[in-house]
Amino acid sequence: MSVAQFLEGLPSYNESNFTKFHVDTNSRSPLRRPSVYIPTKDYPSEQIIVTEKTSILLKYMQQHWDKKVNSSVKKRDIPSQSEEPARKRPRTEYSRDNSRDNGRTQNDF
Amino acid sequence: MAYHYVVTAHKPTAVTSCVTGNFTSPSDLNLIVAKNTRLEIYLVTPEGLRPIKEVGLYGKVAVMKLFRPQYEKKDLLFIVTMRYNAMILECISDGDNLDIITKAHGNVADRIGKPSETGILAVIDPKARVIGLRLYDGLFKIIPLDKDNYELKASNFRMDELQVHDVEFLHGCANPTLILIHQDVNGRHVKTHEISLREKEFVKIPWRQDNVETEASIIIPVPSPLGGAIIIGQESILYHDGITSVVVAPAVIKQSTIICYAKVDPGGLRYLLGDMAGHLFMLFIETETRGDGNEVVKDLKVEMLGEIATPECITYLDNGVLFIGSRIGDSQLVKLNTKADENGSYVTVMESFTNLAPILDMCVVDLERQGQGQLVTCSGAFKEGSLRIIRSGIGIQDHASIDLPGIKGMWALQTATGSKLDNTLVLSFVGQTRVLSLNGEEVEETDIAGFASDQQTFYCGNVAHEQIIQITPISARLVSAQSKTLLAEWKPPTEKNISVVACNTSQIILSTGSALYYLEIHPNELILKGHTTLDVEVACLDISPIGEGATTSDLVAVGLWTDISARILRLPDLSEATKELLGGEIIPRSVLMACFEGHDYLLCALGDGSMFYFSLHKESGTLSDKKKVTLGTQPTVLRTFRSLSTTNVFACSDRPTVIYSSNHKLVFSNVNMKEVNHMCSLNAEAYPDSLALATDTSVTIGTIDEIQKLHIRTVPLQESARRITYQEQSKTFGVVTARVDIQDSTGLNPARQSASTMAQSVTVSSSVASLAISKSGSSSLLGSSLAPEYGQEVEVHNLLIVDQNTFEVLHSHQLMQQEYAMSLISCQLGNDPNAYFIVGTANVNPEESEPKQGRLLVFHWNDNKLTQVSEKEIKGACYSLAEFNGKLLASINSTVRLFEWTAEKELRLECSHFNNIIALFLKTKGDFILIGDLMRSMTLLQYKTMEGSFEEIARDYNPNWMTAIEILDDDVFLGAENSYNMFVCQKDSAATTDEERSQMHEVGQFHVGDMINVFRHGSLVMQNIGETSIPTRGCVLFGTVGGAIGLVTQVPQDFYEFLLDLQNKLSSVIKSVGKIEHSFWRAFHTDIKTENSEGFIDGDLIESFLDLSQDKMKEVADGLGMTVEYLVKMVEDLTRIH
Repeated sequence: MSVAQFLEGLPSYNESNFTKFHVDTNSRSPLRRPSVYIPTKDYPSEQIIVTEKTSILLKYMQQHWDKKVNSSVKKRDIPSQSEEPARKRPRTEYSRDNSRDNGRTQNDF
Repeated sequence: MAYHYVVTAHKPTAVTSCVTGNFTSPSDLNLIVAKNTRLEIYLVTPEGLRPIKEVGLYGKVAVMKLFRPQYEKKDLLFIVTMRYNAMILECISDGDNLDIITKAHGNVADRIGKPSETGILAVIDPKARVIGLRLYDGLFKIIPLDKDNYELKASNFRMDELQVHDVEFLHGCANPTLILIHQDVNGRHVKTHEISLREKEFVKIPWRQDNVETEASIIIPVPSPLGGAIIIGQESILYHDGITSVVVAPAVIKQSTIICYAKVDPGGLRYLLGDMAGHLFMLFIETETRGDGNEVVKDLKVEMLGEIATPECITYLDNGVLFIGSRIGDSQLVKLNTKADENGSYVTVMESFTNLAPILDMCVVDLERQGQGQLVTCSGAFKEGSLRIIRSGIGIQDHASIDLPGIKGMWALQTATGSKLDNTLVLSFVGQTRVLSLNGEEVEETDIAGFASDQQTFYCGNVAHEQIIQITPISARLVSAQSKTLLAEWKPPTEKNISVVACNTSQIILSTGSALYYLEIHPNELILKGHTTLDVEVACLDISPIGEGATTSDLVAVGLWTDISARILRLPDLSEATKELLGGEIIPRSVLMACFEGHDYLLCALGDGSMFYFSLHKESGTLSDKKKVTLGTQPTVLRTFRSLSTTNVFACSDRPTVIYSSNHKLVFSNVNMKEVNHMCSLNAEAYPDSLALATDTSVTIGTIDEIQKLHIRTVPLQESARRITYQEQSKTFGVVTARVDIQDSTGLNPARQSASTMAQSVTVSSSVASLAISKSGSSSLLGSSLAPEYGQEVEVHNLLIVDQNTFEVLHSHQLMQQEYAMSLISCQLGNDPNAYFIVGTANVNPEESEPKQGRLLVFHWNDNKLTQVSEKEIKGACYSLAEFNGKLLASINSTVRLFEWTAEKELRLECSHFNNIIALFLKTKGDFILIGDLMRSMTLLQYKTMEGSFEEIARDYNPNWMTAIEILDDDVFLGAENSYNMFVCQKDSAATTDEERSQMHEVGQFHVGDMINVFRHGSLVMQNIGETSIPTRGCVLFGTVGGAIGLVTQVPQDFYEFLLDLQNKLSSVIKSVGKIEHSFWRAFHTDIKTENSEGFIDGDLIESFLDLSQDKMKEVADGLGMTVEYLVKMVEDLTRIH
């Protein structure tokens, strides 16, 4: 297979693109740099990206604890789960742009 | 306290990323190019790339990707910055208006985690379900792209693989599935991970392939239906999809390393690959149909297509046209052809985009001694290595030149022709007028019957009713444009000669001393319509019609002797509308009424090269807003011309200047010609849209460059330029370069022809150096005794001597094998009148942790010969050199040493300073020496003349890893460090205790966002132009890795505080794309601390004030309690310092 065959039928999205291109030897083409965009209107973001603060170690332990609790429940089949004292719950809050605390906690279990 | 203003004079040009897609609308094909902190959005059109918008970000782009969620009709842009700000941007355009909306944003940094050495990797699932980020070793961050949640919750997954070289999402998987190349002690492996969004874990490994090539570094995911991925290695290419595995090892890719790829077909059968050496390859997947009807990969084919600029990124645009983004060379638009050219290349370069990056060194020189510096940079690397000459101004492209001395005036005419093109050039001399006819490119002398050729012409031009006017000291002559015969003649009623004249196509104003006559041009006659006598003699006149399409003027501008005034008179009665005394004793030489961007101005140039300009009110004929600039030192003549359909004024003088308007402010741009006495526009058949420019000795016909502030000329070297210095005495530049040689069967041979191999003459440092190498234990590695391995690439360092005008390489001196040139200066030493080039070198032995040996080489360039005058062996690498009171100062490894120049022309060690890790940089001022250390910031030494020793005066105790230093004044020092920050230290000599005096205080800090390689005192513009409202002091230019040029200047405290208020106001009025706070962006940030910016004003933000709409300007001005006009003038003045 030759290189020419390789290069045949290159994708074309608009056949006219680059057809009128000509090398401007005098380099007098209009300013190459586009104008600078200076936004002054405030558009509220539709969404914000928040990043989880919990370390993966905590998350891992929490998941295992979850599993353990679930499996132990099944094994022993003790209905009186509620007797157990309330355990410390891990904080799995999300931080917004490093802002310290937005008071949101979330319990996955 | 010291306060500084920092601004970018030339924006970064290194392309770090490029993408193609439908961004501005579903039907627009866009190219988006990331240059450090800036995005450039282009539209693909039949004419080529059309610039749409440039978007500045408050962050350096680390990764940029286009993606299309399934509910969207056009693409969205995902960006992560180096400081972990993530954003999703959408472009909304309505007609010409375009808005970039931040759809989502947030910081994805973790508080703990080891940032990966392979940088930030970001990938988006092909179905746009999730974004994956590899920021820290052992962690993988997933952002699920839920359309309906307000919060996009990024969560970390634990990843067993620590060293990940590349990561991608596989196509055609039910759940998002990653594929990655990772490295462990056994080698590199490919592994896949299926992601469970619910469990926030990698749930299974669909397939893996251990022990792929040890240098495998790129993954190309193959779209459905084939699926799987291509793994690019140093020597082999692997396709794998879990079942099928195809490996090829094409010989063509072995020469270099592939660093980027672009998908060609949406189906994913063809890919373009680019390698470090600038080769472009095509990779083709050959498929076959299996029995079950499924297509599977049968083979991979790779062919070399040709050579391109060393790529950083490649993207396929349309119809066989690609954009090649380059970080170390000029980016390119290239076309792929199905037929090879004579060199066997299938690639044609359509367009190149100038790139200064990386700027490794630079020097500021004022070759024409005009008070305006130009910058010569060492730019690019390897085959893209070059010198770039940067000067503020406008270039004239020379097309033809005629030797003709003594020209007093010049005009272009259309004679005996139906077309609108000029075919005649009228030249005026003392006592005669000559006519040149332009016939194609031929120029021959002719005459016009109706002209008085034995007189000097004051004015000549085509006028109304197909006539030509010639005005001489004797008379005004009206001539038929067709028959060239005299139709009418007007002489002043008195015996006095005509002294000054101005004319447009239908009106003439002329004066004989203090008498003024106003004539109108009618068919076959000149009619006197007004006459007056002024109290003093007329020095200059103008009657230019102002405004679009105007052919007549209601006003006359007059400049006068004796009372030194500019006046506006009304037509036809010549009554005075306004009178403006200019003051001083210099008479006006040229007045001009002109309209720029809809604003009318009166320009009035004086005999000393300065110029006043006023706003002109056309109706009332009054003047306001008087301003003054200095354009040159000689009498200046103002002429208008049109370029790119805008009005410009050419100021002819010893420093020719083009005056134009940008953002409703006048800009004065120097032209790259030494002097111009007269000029006229010329639009001839062979010279369309040109200018004719007359100097003392000749006429040049040329075209004017696109109007731009900095003019960049490239001198390609095809090898890496590392250091540059200027030597005035020999009118040359010394340049240190490194080229790559390859060891083959015949020995070391250059990989390609380059500046050092093509120099007019070449010398080589003897490998068996005169200084016996045997002194050092490691010496066996020196010299040619140890040949590198076959095929090994070896850096060969050279000193080039380059002519200051032609930039020809006059001489090349090659250093020894394994000897690297680290530093270079030109200086005079002791009482020796010669200027020397001094090179500091290091013998680099890969087995040593730091160089243990080097040389100081003293060269003399004289009479086209390079002589090595002296050689001094040193015990380490000479990182930096400086001239110090007639002695040579050198930083060698951890020491700073001072050498005397003896009468025997030898370097003799005088004293040393030892308290450094590695002393990388040296700057001196008087008796003071500033040292920039590898990691211990800056130290100030004083040389004690009496004792002949160094004393450590003060030190900055912060751990800064320095990249450049500069002395601003006796107490204030500027440093740049490797986390892209700069800072200012101040020593406190007045402190009471020794301890306080020995500490330098960081009084200013600022995040530049780009690594600064070099600081140099100097300016790109004429200093102290006109009356300026801004009290800046000094100017230090800097060059960056991203190819930006910036400057730092000192400002007084009250001005700083005022600018700070303006900056704070602007940072709230101007919204940030990506919603990154300005204060976050400019905060001094390193791995160990983040502190708010202080002591620096962000000039880039200040200058964007001029791009605001009127109402926003007013909002800012109102907030500060001042007028818009005042602010505009002040910010305009600030823009003129660069």
